[in-house]
Amino acid sequence: MDHIRRLLGRTAAALLTLLGVSVLIFAAVRAMPGSYTDLVLGPLATRSEKAAAAARFGLDRPVAEQYLYWLRNAVQGDFGTSLAARTPVATEFGDRLPVTVTLTALALALTVLIGIPLGVYTGTRESGGRGGVPGRLVSAFGMSLPEFVLGSLVVFLFTRYSLGLTVGTYVPWSQDVLGSVGSLFLPACVLAVFCVAATARTTRDAVLGVLVEPHIAAAVARGEPKGSIVRHHVLRNAAVPVLTLVATLSAYLLGGTVIVERLFNVPGLGSYLVDGLDRRDYAVVQAGVLLAATVFITTNLLVDLVSGLIDPRIGTAGKRVAS
Amino acid sequence: MRRSAIIVGCSVALTGALASCSAPAATDAADTRKASKSGYLAASDASFEGTGPLTVQLDYDSVEAGGLDPQTAATARSWSIESLVYEPLVTVDPKFGIEPLLASSWKQPDATTYVFTLRKGVTFSNGRTLTTADVVGSLQRLLKSKAAYAAQLGPVKSVTATGPEEVTVELAKAYTPFLAALANTPAAILPMKEVDDGSLDLAKEMLGTGPFVVKNHKQDQYWNFTRNTAYRETKKVRVDDLKIEIVPQEAARLAALRNGSASFVNFNNIDSMDQLTGTRNAKVVSQANSDFYYLIQNSKNPDSTLADQKVRFALNSALNRTEIASVALGGQAQPTGVTPSVLPGACDPAKLPAATNKTADTAALKKAGTLRLAVYTSEPAVGQIAQVIQQQLAKSGVTVKIQKYDDTTYGARVFGAKPDFDLAIGWFAGYVDASMVSRWWNPVLAGFSGTFLNDDKTLDALIDKAAGEPEGTARTQTLAGLCARVDTAAQMLPLVTRPSVIGYRTDQVSPTLRAAEGYGNFLRDITSYTLPAAK
Repeated sequence: MDHIRRLLGRTAAALLTLLGVSVLIFAAVRAMPGSYTDLVLGPLATRSEKAAAAARFGLDRPVAEQYLYWLRNAVQGDFGTSLAARTPVATEFGDRLPVTVTLTALALALTVLIGIPLGVYTGTRESGGRGGVPGRLVSAFGMSLPEFVLGSLVVFLFTRYSLGLTVGTYVPWSQDVLGSVGSLFLPACVLAVFCVAATARTTRDAVLGVLVEPHIAAAVARGEPKGSIVRHHVLRNAAVPVLTLVATLSAYLLGGTVIVERLFNVPGLGSYLVDGLDRRDYAVVQAGVLLAATVFITTNLLVDLVSGLIDPRIGTAGKRVAS
Repeated sequence: MRRSAIIVGCSVALTGALASCSAPAATDAADTRKASKSGYLAASDASFEGTGPLTVQLDYDSVEAGGLDPQTAATARSWSIESLVYEPLVTVDPKFGIEPLLASSWKQPDATTYVFTLRKGVTFSNGRTLTTADVVGSLQRLLKSKAAYAAQLGPVKSVTATGPEEVTVELAKAYTPFLAALANTPAAILPMKEVDDGSLDLAKEMLGTGPFVVKNHKQDQYWNFTRNTAYRETKKVRVDDLKIEIVPQEAARLAALRNGSASFVNFNNIDSMDQLTGTRNAKVVSQANSDFYYLIQNSKNPDSTLADQKVRFALNSALNRTEIASVALGGQAQPTGVTPSVLPGACDPAKLPAATNKTADTAALKKAGTLRLAVYTSEPAVGQIAQVIQQQLAKSGVTVKIQKYDDTTYGARVFGAKPDFDLAIGWFAGYVDASMVSRWWNPVLAGFSGTFLNDDKTLDALIDKAAGEPEGTARTQTLAGLCARVDTAAQMLPLVTRPSVIGYRTDQVSPTLRAAEGYGNFLRDITSYTLPAAK
């Protein structure tokens, strides 16, 4: 019962947050200087021509009326029509979402497959007093390297020299599955670097924290092999902060696609959102930000629930303190 | 923070070091000189006898409030892409003369009357034959529209069918650029029967008489065209499938040209010409345009020192356009007055008052103070020009602060109802008649420039006179006077021409490229491109 009440409470809070986000983004894009009609009609257009275009797209109505109209449709899954492409935003999202999800999933896979083992390795090395300088260096380097710098460097190197992978050519799944993964590999690597570093660092800290716990000493005293201690005691207990971080990073990765998709010419949601923002294509920006917020909030909600399952003490901590 | 600064520095240094390994430029000056004589940068190789697909990569897609309707198209990119499907009555030759296209000929019995005879055997891609009703309907639709381009057609009084294959256009008064204005995509002849009966929505579909039909289009991603089998010369068109990919990243387009995944690309950074050096089978050329960059000095802000003509002229005199062309545009541009310098009859920018002014007005320059220069970020050359101007004016003691904005913000600050800038750089399409662009210097005619440009009746009269005078010495003198007036008033200053940089794979396509272009249409001669025989 407590779990259900908690779930309902968190869901209601999430919905309220999303409503707040929708109001904020609606107001923010309209507060930006210039409008879609200014951009596409250009300076040569007369004021009456611009006014006619604004009326055609409903941009001349009061902002509150525009918002309520948009919200009513968004709740029903209609996010409006892109002013630039003249296509429903939902359709465009449907086309582009798989691209961004694949890119994000690849980056996340790299994060988990490299970051966690690296963190465990560094943590156990440091705990044994054998030093973890290489691991710490990798973490520091990865976390301090902005995506646009690394991405630009990778784009330059792979376009200037034949290094086996091409830049700027996206291959859809429908054409060639392996080719599609290959076309997203470089952007996924660039996207993953920060996440690998952050995951390695958090895992290392969590491992170091767990290794000093009494039950680890007991396991060592029982003569359990080191591998077994790491697998059965350390990883499970270190999992919560790492899981929380990885979940947060998945939302971060979604945001990171904005830069990486532009750099590598990947036709996903990130580049769509940037184009929309540049053109003040309101429906695109609103839907994009709302989607990102939904992913972020939902992921955090799921993490809370999963954390409770991994460590039942988390859900009841507040209650125990109160009693 | 410190670590990341070191890393950024190293990355930049590494990038620079790698870039500096490039060999000399892939272009050569002898080619350029030859091109200016022949009118062509490249002529298609007749020994290429193949047919097949062609992949073109462009930096951005056409985006118009009117969708795909060519009459409301306001940008050269839209004109280029839509010209693959639509054709006007006349077109432009390499020397900016006017040639027949959908009209087989025309007569001009007097200064205000044009009689066009339609070409026989022209059909739209749906198989319907072009009629005089299509011509009359299209031009009347354009003239009635609120499209900015409609004004370029001049004082058209009437458009009527005067025979089964004849259309007559009457002007209210003589207007020399009339044919030049007709030669651009917004004046294309549309299938008016289908438009009128509602079976065709021009904003969403394209149906023309041109060499290609649209197979599909995904905004900001690609266009797929296929050969129009109903096109009168379809057998001569070697490109049977044309794919235009939109690739915003300059480096990605460079890579595509290097690895051969694209045959023809455009670049918006002049430095890309050097980046292709040493690449086998790749050639890069710079096509001159009548388009030109300008510098606006906001003279309508009474609190600004730029309200004073002496200050504006002093600043104009401190500019060195040759240096701007050389430094900011790698020598691929040329100084220009308000009559684009690549067009016949244009004035000589070296003879303009500010260029010949030997003595700097130090008092006026001192008065100028600190000026904000607004630029937009989507075009590298604009920022580069701003930097050169900043340095040139600094030598005269004037401080310029460059303010960079995204395109929409720039538009709002410069062309909005309440302009908020001192100086601003932008560019205009230069068209194909020397007087056409000058109408933007008349704020009453232009509309958009009234917020930062004071109306000058003498200048307005010169603009009007240049438009009405027939070609000849008198008109050339009027155009020179017009240039001088604009230069002296120094409100909106033409700077240098804006070239198109184009790269292509010599093993995949042999294009025909003109040395100079008036409507920014670097795909203009695509029907004459030849392709190697299939392996």
